[in-house]
Amino acid sequence: MAEKPSLYLAPEAALPYCRGCGHALVVRHLSQALERLKLPPRSVVLATDIGCVGLADSLFPYLHTVHTTHGRSTAFATGMALAEAVLEPTGLKPVVMIGDGGAMIGLLHLVHAAQLNVDITVLVHNNFLFGMTGGQHSAFTPEGFVTATTPAGNWTPPLDLVTLLGAARAGFLARQYATDAALAEVIADAIAYPGFALVEVFELCTAYGTRWNRLTGSSLKELVAQQGLEMGRRSTRPERPAFLDLYRQQQAGREKKAPAAEVPPLTTRAALDRELRLVVAGSAGERVQSAASLFCRAALAAGLYVTEKNDNPVTQGTGFSLAEICLSPRPIEYTGLESPDVVIVASADGWKELAANGTFDRCRAGTLLVLDEDLLEKFPAAARLGGRRLPLPLRGRATPAGAALAGLAAWLALDPVLPAAAWESALAALPEERRAPLQQALRLGRELAESAPATPS
Amino acid sequence: MVAEGALAAGCRFFAGYPITPASEIYEVMMRELPAQGGLALSAPDEISSLCYCVGASLRGLKAMTATSGPGWALMIETLQYALMTETPLVVALVQRLGPSTGGATQGAQGDVWLSEFSTSGGYTVPVFAPSTAAECYAVALEAFHWAERLRTPVVLLSDKEVGMTSEVVEDESLPRPTQVTRPRFAGGRAYLPYGFASPEEVPAFAPVGGDVKVTVTGSAHDQQGRLRKNSPEVLEVLRHLERKIAAHADEMARVRPDLDPGARTLLLSYGVTARAARQAVAARRAEGARLSFLQPLTLFPVPRRELDWALAEVDTVLVAEENLTGQYRAALAPYLGKRRVVGINKIGGLISPSEIIRAVRAAEA
Repeated sequence: MAEKPSLYLAPEAALPYCRGCGHALVVRHLSQALERLKLPPRSVVLATDIGCVGLADSLFPYLHTVHTTHGRSTAFATGMALAEAVLEPTGLKPVVMIGDGGAMIGLLHLVHAAQLNVDITVLVHNNFLFGMTGGQHSAFTPEGFVTATTPAGNWTPPLDLVTLLGAARAGFLARQYATDAALAEVIADAIAYPGFALVEVFELCTAYGTRWNRLTGSSLKELVAQQGLEMGRRSTRPERPAFLDLYRQQQAGREKKAPAAEVPPLTTRAALDRELRLVVAGSAGERVQSAASLFCRAALAAGLYVTEKNDNPVTQGTGFSLAEICLSPRPIEYTGLESPDVVIVASADGWKELAANGTFDRCRAGTLLVLDEDLLEKFPAAARLGGRRLPLPLRGRATPAGAALAGLAAWLALDPVLPAAAWESALAALPEERRAPLQQALRLGRELAESAPATPS
Repeated sequence: MVAEGALAAGCRFFAGYPITPASEIYEVMMRELPAQGGLALSAPDEISSLCYCVGASLRGLKAMTATSGPGWALMIETLQYALMTETPLVVALVQRLGPSTGGATQGAQGDVWLSEFSTSGGYTVPVFAPSTAAECYAVALEAFHWAERLRTPVVLLSDKEVGMTSEVVEDESLPRPTQVTRPRFAGGRAYLPYGFASPEEVPAFAPVGGDVKVTVTGSAHDQQGRLRKNSPEVLEVLRHLERKIAAHADEMARVRPDLDPGARTLLLSYGVTARAARQAVAARRAEGARLSFLQPLTLFPVPRRELDWALAEVDTVLVAEENLTGQYRAALAPYLGKRRVVGINKIGGLISPSEIIRAVRAAEA
């Protein structure tokens, strides 16, 4: 009798699988599931990858097919599903077909897809081994199972994928045998589910699994029971919102962001006619880099070119914090500090870092060192450095959190590279509630400069 | 500015994973892309990041991710997949000190080989390298242009010093964005997903999920996308992957030349080191020296025509770059003839203008 042509699956003769291989059963069930759902072929994309099961893409000639890299088809399918959030919705249904090897190497893709609850359906063809490459064991191989790489029997327990993905809050999980009459219905329900759905299908590899192990259809069920793996539908959480719904809710609730306030440019330009390089150093959490940024915005308001680069230990919240700054009336090329003009040190952490990174070795006779006065006592080497020193009670008067900014303000009061109004311009770009402590530190810094010796030593 | 350029180029999909010094691009895209109607997403690892980008690009979206050396190492298999399947995408690779975890907050230019010579089979991946914030923007536009135009992955090779230094950018210095999208299949004939009129041109694109059946495969394939071994058609498709890039190499070449027609010495540098080089060139010229300078923004394909122009009168070439082995110098070597070639190399810190000046003086002596 002539075979009724399927809207989905190629004629039976085209199936490339070994006699008795479960893959052939699963592709037939998938085709029946698609027929049951009456899905137009162009609304389905089959994502496959490496392994005998990966040959399935050529068996569904009317579906979109994407044949990918080993174990990654879940991630490629996730990307395709995510794109629905940006495109005019098409209702595309990605179906992923992977083996137990692919599920092992691509486990994190499964976990993330489950967490996102993206609308993809994954069929894991679990025959307990890598068939295409010669029957090696996988993370899903049962204990005692003989494979090419466990000739004396596998001694690690198999991964319980369904339980694991339950912990990742998967919305639809089921575990079936390839021979189950209900498999087509389960696959259809999985595809119809609007979020992440996974069906793990136990099957036989007749090339290796049944050759090396006493395995038949009925002993397969015993084997699965021995491993403590429960069958059937395990988790259906219809109440869990699918990714697209959640994303659209998020988008609808997104507040329109006010554009960042601009730094008003000054009519008085900075009088600087040369490049000036400075470094500000202190302790993490003491607003060193914020002070540097404020200063850079002030320089920008005064019509200068500025570069700023920050450094801190990888832990972010402890140790030193520093900023290297270049100012120039012309565009700046090299952003390093071959020889700093000004060094501002607000704390011992900052001092130690500048000593360690060689900044002090690069100071010249003309370098001005503005430092917290306690550092002279703590680090006797400070007295021997090249350049001029201006010790000030930065931490004592302006508090540790204001010390760096006060140091900058003190230096600028003595050497007015920027017009005084530049600070106000920079502050104007900040929210009002943040300005007061900064204004305070700036005022204290200027006062310290007034009481400082006329010529730094 | 890489993110700004990507947004201006029409990027509508971004998947990222945190890594210094590329995290700022990730953060800006997470903040700004949704407001532009795009999707930015946190992936659970770098392999997933790039796979998500490929998936989104297969549906027609302009897609990008950002990473640094360690993450890039994880992405390479997927990069090759994008190359084989002619899937446009952009990877912003912000270099840091290697190998391995290296120095997360230390700059370097040591991933030139890793970005270009990472495909099995040895195909050319376009690589662009900016030296300033403004160039980051310009090069991001170029990267998307060529990714789409030639249906290829493109690497935007930045580094920690360029990527994490704040600087003033003048609006008028930024190029006006243009929207280039991959050529679409217009219907009217049977669709060949990998069919091309000539090997220098790209197949027309049809999105997964559209009305036309699409077959995508990373395996060696014929023009229909069928897995085949060494048939003449498959080999023609493979040769086409290289020929489409080579045929457009001159068009893709972006350089900043500063040539002195009488100079016998050419200094060449790219990325952050080009900044110190420009300063060194100005200083040497102020001392009366004759010196030419060339900064390639397109590292690969090597801008041969522009290089030949710059080399015409030159007998000594200095290449300054922040790696130990002279990665770009080695890549240029086949095109430099019998000229004397000197490397200016260093790791662990910026190469300074005075270090370059010293090397230039020594070479001229």
